[in-house]
Amino acid sequence: MDPDGDDAARLRRGDTAGLAGLLSRHQDRLFRYLRRLVGDEAVAEDAFQQTWLKVAERIGRYDRSRPFAPWLFAVARNLALDQLRRRQPESLEHVAEPPAPGGPEADPLAHAVARQRGARLADAVAGLAPLDREVLSLRFEEDLGLPELAETLGVPLPTAKARLYRALARLRGRLLAGGPAEEWR
Amino acid sequence: MSDHVTDRLALAAAGGLDPAEESRVEAHLAGCASCAKDAAEWRRLAEGLGRLPAPRPSRALLARTMEAVERRFAERSERAWNQAALGFLVAFAWTLAVVSWLILDLVTGELALRLGRPLGTTATWYAAYVAAGWLTAGAAAVLLGRSAREEGRTV
Repeated sequence: MDPDGDDAARLRRGDTAGLAGLLSRHQDRLFRYLRRLVGDEAVAEDAFQQTWLKVAERIGRYDRSRPFAPWLFAVARNLALDQLRRRQPESLEHVAEPPAPGGPEADPLAHAVARQRGARLADAVAGLAPLDREVLSLRFEEDLGLPELAETLGVPLPTAKARLYRALARLRGRLLAGGPAEEWR
Repeated sequence: MSDHVTDRLALAAAGGLDPAEESRVEAHLAGCASCAKDAAEWRRLAEGLGRLPAPRPSRALLARTMEAVERRFAERSERAWNQAALGFLVAFAWTLAVVSWLILDLVTGELALRLGRPLGTTATWYAAYVAAGWLTAGAAAVLLGRSAREEGRTV
């Protein structure tokens, strides 16, 4: 029994109930990943919608013998990186400016929760470059193992390890630069 | 203590070491307070990353997404239907053109016989007839295309 495979087959036949099933199972993970990668709520929402449109369009190319999530994340990744390149063509390794107060981050409830549960860490992550945020999100939030991480990023395993190490080191550097001896959680 | 494993601690906390490396790091940490302190810091960082507040898609976004896909499917099926209809009409038009050649040949031949003088070659009549037909069809296609594009813009 593979609910993703069944829903993908339904979607391939043009039945949008298949999409509803896939969406309900993957919506939270996918949105969290895109939000971390692009670093902006509105851009993440656009990339989220474009991803599902692309999925509906290309579902015929999905190989049912393989898990759906990595394929979905690869589609999302390509779209999000294209959007990022258009918005900040300098580099995906460029460190973003911190979000302005009163922007999309200013949802009071989310803000209060963030303050309670690790604002310093959240701020430090938000200040990293998109590709650093991406690798940390995939490893620690999506809980991908190293091989899955490498597959999703489309790089060899040693490169994935190096990216993970570099992102962690940069994150720690930002935390240390922000003040000593505070809890990061 | 020599051979500190400082550069392996980040990956160790991230579960990114292979088993042999992991054993080596663990063995070192058992006897090195400095690296053990560092390792604890990295672990805290890794745990914190797994507990960051998770953004979730809004209901409005989910509804918009479903609507967009449904609209795309509707457009796709309309396009497929239009293509099938167009294919049928083209085949029908060619069949009609071939059949009408025979009919025209018959009619102009009969008429010429009755009037006792030639009405021009059948081929000329036929070419004019086909050209008029295709020009009319082309103009209709252009008008229909424009109207469809304008409807698309207003949706």
